[in-house]
Amino acid sequence: MAEVIAQSGFTGKQTAQPATTFALFPRPTAKTGIVSWLTTVDHKKIGMLYGGFAILFFLIGGIEALMIRTQLMVPNNRFISAQLYSELFTMHGTTMIFLAVMPLNAAFFNLLIPIQVGARDVAFPRLNSFSLWVWVVGAILLNVGWISHFVPSWNFGGAPDVGWFGYAPLTSKSFTPDLSTDFWVLGIQVLGISSIVASLNFIVTIINLRAPGLTMMRLPVFTWMALVTSFLLVLALPAIAIALIMVMFDRNFGTNFFEVSGGGQPILWQHLFWVFGHPEVYILILPPMGYVSEILPTFARKPLFGYPIVVFSGVAIGFIGFGVWSHHMFTTGLGTVATAAFALATMAIAVPTGVKVFNWIGTLWGGRIVTRVPMMFALGFIWMFMMGGLSGIMHSAAPADAQQQDSYFVIAHFHYVLIGGATFALLAAIHFWFPKFFGRMVPEFWGKVSFWIIFVGFNATFFPMHFLGLNGMPRRTWTYDSNMGWNEGNLFATYGAYLLGLGIFTYFAVLVWAYFKGEKCGNDPWDARTLEWSIPSPPPEHNFAAIPTVHARDAWWYEKTHKEEIAQEKAAHIKAEESHGGIHMPDQSWYPLFAAIGLLVGAYNFAQLHYPVTMFGQQVLASHLPLAITGLGLMVAACYLWALEGPGGYHLHIDAEGKVTESRGDHH
Amino acid sequence: MTRIRFDHRPFSRATRALVAGLGLVLLSSCKLADIFDLSGNQSTMLTAGPVAKAQWDLFMVTVYVCTFIFIVVGAILAYAQIKFRARSESDEHAEPPPEAHGNPFVEIGLIAASVALLVIIAIPTLRDIWYTHDVPEDEKGNAMEVVATGYQWWFKFEYPTELVKLPNGGEAPLVTGNELVVPAGTPIRVQLRTIDVIHSFWVPKLAGKVDMMPNRANFLWFKADKPGYYYGQCAEFCGESHAIMRFRVIALSPREYSQWLENQKSPARTVTPALLASAVDRSAHVQFAAMKLNPGEALAASPAFDADPLNAWREMQHPEAGEDAPLIAQGRQLFSAKTCVSCHSIRGHEGVGISGPDLTRVGARSTIAAGVLENTHERMHAWIKNPNHFKPGNKMWFGGYNVKDGDNWKPNFTMNDQEINALVAYLHSLK
Repeated sequence: MAEVIAQSGFTGKQTAQPATTFALFPRPTAKTGIVSWLTTVDHKKIGMLYGGFAILFFLIGGIEALMIRTQLMVPNNRFISAQLYSELFTMHGTTMIFLAVMPLNAAFFNLLIPIQVGARDVAFPRLNSFSLWVWVVGAILLNVGWISHFVPSWNFGGAPDVGWFGYAPLTSKSFTPDLSTDFWVLGIQVLGISSIVASLNFIVTIINLRAPGLTMMRLPVFTWMALVTSFLLVLALPAIAIALIMVMFDRNFGTNFFEVSGGGQPILWQHLFWVFGHPEVYILILPPMGYVSEILPTFARKPLFGYPIVVFSGVAIGFIGFGVWSHHMFTTGLGTVATAAFALATMAIAVPTGVKVFNWIGTLWGGRIVTRVPMMFALGFIWMFMMGGLSGIMHSAAPADAQQQDSYFVIAHFHYVLIGGATFALLAAIHFWFPKFFGRMVPEFWGKVSFWIIFVGFNATFFPMHFLGLNGMPRRTWTYDSNMGWNEGNLFATYGAYLLGLGIFTYFAVLVWAYFKGEKCGNDPWDARTLEWSIPSPPPEHNFAAIPTVHARDAWWYEKTHKEEIAQEKAAHIKAEESHGGIHMPDQSWYPLFAAIGLLVGAYNFAQLHYPVTMFGQQVLASHLPLAITGLGLMVAACYLWALEGPGGYHLHIDAEGKVTESRGDHH
Repeated sequence: MTRIRFDHRPFSRATRALVAGLGLVLLSSCKLADIFDLSGNQSTMLTAGPVAKAQWDLFMVTVYVCTFIFIVVGAILAYAQIKFRARSESDEHAEPPPEAHGNPFVEIGLIAASVALLVIIAIPTLRDIWYTHDVPEDEKGNAMEVVATGYQWWFKFEYPTELVKLPNGGEAPLVTGNELVVPAGTPIRVQLRTIDVIHSFWVPKLAGKVDMMPNRANFLWFKADKPGYYYGQCAEFCGESHAIMRFRVIALSPREYSQWLENQKSPARTVTPALLASAVDRSAHVQFAAMKLNPGEALAASPAFDADPLNAWREMQHPEAGEDAPLIAQGRQLFSAKTCVSCHSIRGHEGVGISGPDLTRVGARSTIAAGVLENTHERMHAWIKNPNHFKPGNKMWFGGYNVKDGDNWKPNFTMNDQEINALVAYLHSLK
C-alpha cells in the first residue's frame, strides 16, 4: 500500500477553500514554495527546518572552535584579542548546546516520533510550528551581538562573553555593562520557551497518539528516550528560567538576587543553573542513546538486548540526573557532607549509564554485524562514550576533581561525551535516516572516509587535553606562557582540530552530493525494524495510508514476517477510516510565525529597554519600552487570532489505485 | 523491497597501508612523548605537599579502576565486533540470528560488579573529602593563616598575624601582591576572599583549587613539604584577562622565612648616595624601546631563571649593583606625578592607594603584572609602557593611564621612555 501511494499521481497541488471561523486573510494551503515552509504544520517539514538550522549553527560553532584552537596553537599568541576569545568560547558552548545538538535532537523528535508511534502528526501541529519559530528567535537574539564587530554603530558590545554558564556576579551590570549579556539572558530564555512548548507536545503525542497495540513497553527505545528527555526539559527549564529572570531584574530593575553589594548570593545562581544544567547533559545525551539503540539492532540484525533494562536505565538516569547538579560545584566550598553526598550520587548515576553500554554490547553479541557507515558511527559512539563516561567517574572523586575542575581535563571529558558521544550518534542518525526522508542513499565509500577522518581528528584533538589538564592548564585560557609544558599538546590538539574540521566538512559535503545525486532507495534500505521503514521514502504528508496495528516491539520487523495477517488488517483499517470521512490532516497557519515575530520584536527591544531609540543619529524615543510593548502586543494578538482561527483541517482519500484526493467539508 | 548493494570492503589493502604509514610518519615527527609529559610547572602529578598528594593518589585509584573497566569492557566489545562481523555478502543477507531479548542474570551480575568497582573509588573519596577540607586537628596548633583576595586580575595576600607599623602610628597586617611567601612544613590555611567576581585559588603542586566566592567565607589548606617555587593561576573565568591572572607561592625554610618577614615588615628601602656600592655609569642604562624575547622564551621566566627559580627568586631579594640614586629619586617623584599613588602604596614612601597591588617591595618579586612577566628592567619597562598589551582590559590602563570622558577613554598623562626608565629604576630599588 505504502509503495502505491508513493507511485500515485498525488502532487499536493489540489487545494480547497478552508473552513472558516474567523480569519483576517485566507488560510495558507500552499504545499510547495516558501509559504508552505513558513506556515507548515507538517512534523516532517518542521523537522527538516530544525535540522537545517541546527546544521548551519553546528558549522558556525565549529568555525568558532577552530578560531579558538588557532589562538591556542602557540604560546603567547595574539591571533585574536582576549575580548574576542571570551566571546568565541561563550558562543561556541552556547551554540553547540542550544543551537546545534538540542535542535538536531528536536529535528529527529519531529521526524521520527509521530511515525514511530504510528501517528499522522504531533498532537498539536500549530504549537509545533510555534516551537520552531520561537527557537529561531532565540538563535537570532543570541547571535545579534556579532553585528557590533562589523557595524560599530550597532553598539551591543559584541557577542555574549560571560561563558556559557554565565556565573554571577560576572553577569552583573558592574562587570558587563554592555548589552551582550542582556541578549544572552533573553536568548536563552526564549530558547527555553521553545523547548518547553515542544516537549509538552511530544509528551502528549507519545502518550496519546500511539497506534493500537503500541503499549509503552513496545515503544521503540528512541521514542522512550525522547519521552524521558521531554520530561527532563519540562522539569529542568523552569529553574534556569527563574534564574535568568533574576539576572534580568538585577540588571534592569535594581534587584539584588546576585548583586554582592546589596547582599546578593552569587552561589545561588550556580545552584539554579546546574539544577537545569546537569539534566541538560542528559537532555543532550539521552536522544543519542536512543539513536544508537535503534541503529545497533538494525545492523547486528538482532533485537536490542535487555530492552526493559535499557528503558528503565534511561528513566533512572533521568531521575538521578536531578540529584547530582552540585558535582559541577565541588570547588565552591560546599562543605564536607554536601560534597560527599553529591560525590556518591554521581557514582550512582554511572551504574545505569554502564548498564546501557553492557546492553549495547549484548546486542552485538551473537549478531551478524554489518559495518555500514551508521553502524561505524554507532560503534565509534560506544567506544568514545565509554572514554567520556569513565573520565566522568574520575570526576566523581571530589578531592581529585579539585585538581581537574575548570582544567583541560574537564574539556577533554565533556567533549568525549558530547562529540564522541552525542555528535557521533547524531552523525550516525543523519546517515541512517537520510534515505528515509530524502529517498536517496549517502555514498558508502565517502561516508567511511569522513568517519575515519572525524574519528582520528577527534581523538587527536581531545586526547592530549587530558594531559594538558593534568599538567595544570585551566580552561578559558586566552593564552599561555611557553614554560608551562603545554606547547606540544596544544599544537597537536590544534592539528587534530583542523583534521576534525576537514572530516566534518567531508561528511556534510557528501550529504549535499547525496541529496542531488545519491542512489534512489526504497522504503527499507537497511532491513530495519521500526515503523518508519514501513512507509515510502520520503514519506507522504499523511505518513500512513493505514494506521498500523502494533503486535510486537519491533513493529515493522513483525510486519515483514507476518505479511498476510498485516495486509488484511490494513485493508480493514483503510475501509474504516474512509467511512469516517477519510484521513484527517491539520491545516497550515500563519499565526505561529506571527506570534514568534512578535516575540522577536518584543525581546529585541526589551533587551535594550533603558537605551534611547535612535534613527539616523537622531534620538526618536527615550527608551525601548514602547517598542517592547508593541512586540508583546503583536504576539498576544497573533495568539488570539490563532485561537479564533480554529484547528481547521481537511481529508485525504486514497482510492483503489492509491491515488490521493483531498476534500474539505463537514467531517471535522 | 529494493536493497542497495555496497562494496563490502571500500578501502583496498594498499590504501589502508598507505594511510597507516602516513599516520605513523606524522606521529613520529611530532614530539609525541612531550604531549603526555606531566612535568610542567603546574603539574598535578609532581606534588609538593600532602593535600595535592592525597588528591593525586585518589586520582590514580580512579585511573586504575577505570582502566580496568575499559580494558575488560573494551576487550569484550572488540571481540564481539570482530567475532560477529558479517564477512561476506551472503553473511549479511543470511537469516538473522534467533531473536533473543536479554538475560536477567547477566544484567544483575553486571550491575553488582559495577557497584563493587564504584565502592573501591567511594571509600578513599570519602576519606579524602574530609582530609583535604581543613587542616587536620593535630596540626591545627602550628597552622598559619593568610588571607588571599582576588581582584580583576591579580591576587592580594595578607598576613593577619604579622602586623606592621604604619607611618601614622597605627598597625595593619602585612600586605603583598601576587607572590605568597610561606614557611615550608607548616600547614597554611588560606582564607579566600574576592573584591569583585568569582576567582579561584589554584597552585596545582600544592593543592586543588577552591573558589573565591563573593559573600562566602571559603578557605583551603596546603603544606609545602620543602622549600620551592610554585606556579599558581586563577581557575575560574573572571573576565577579559582571566587567562593571565597568575601568581606564585614561594615556600622557604622557617629560618629564611623569618628573615624575609623581618625585611618585609620594615618600611620601604630608600636609596641615598651613601648607600651606593660603586660609582654610577649612566650610559649603562639602556633605553628599552621594545621588549626582546628569544624564540620559545617564556614571558614570565628566562631560561636562566627557569633553571633554578627558587635561587633566582633569592637573588631578587638583594639590592642590584650599579644603582643610580638620582634616577631613582626622579622615579620616586614620578610615582606621585603620574598618579600611580592613587592606586598603589609604598609603605614608608608615597602612596595611599589600595585598589592596586602594594608595591612596598616590588623590586624583590620575581614577576610583575600578576605572574605574567619576569621582573627584569626590560620587561617592567615594557609593562609600564603598554600594560594593555600584556593584560587587556586591566584597570591600570582603563582608569589610571586613561580616564573616562563621557563614553570614551582619554589619556590621563603621557610618559616618555626616560621617565619609564626612572620609574623602573625606582621600583627595582624597592627590595
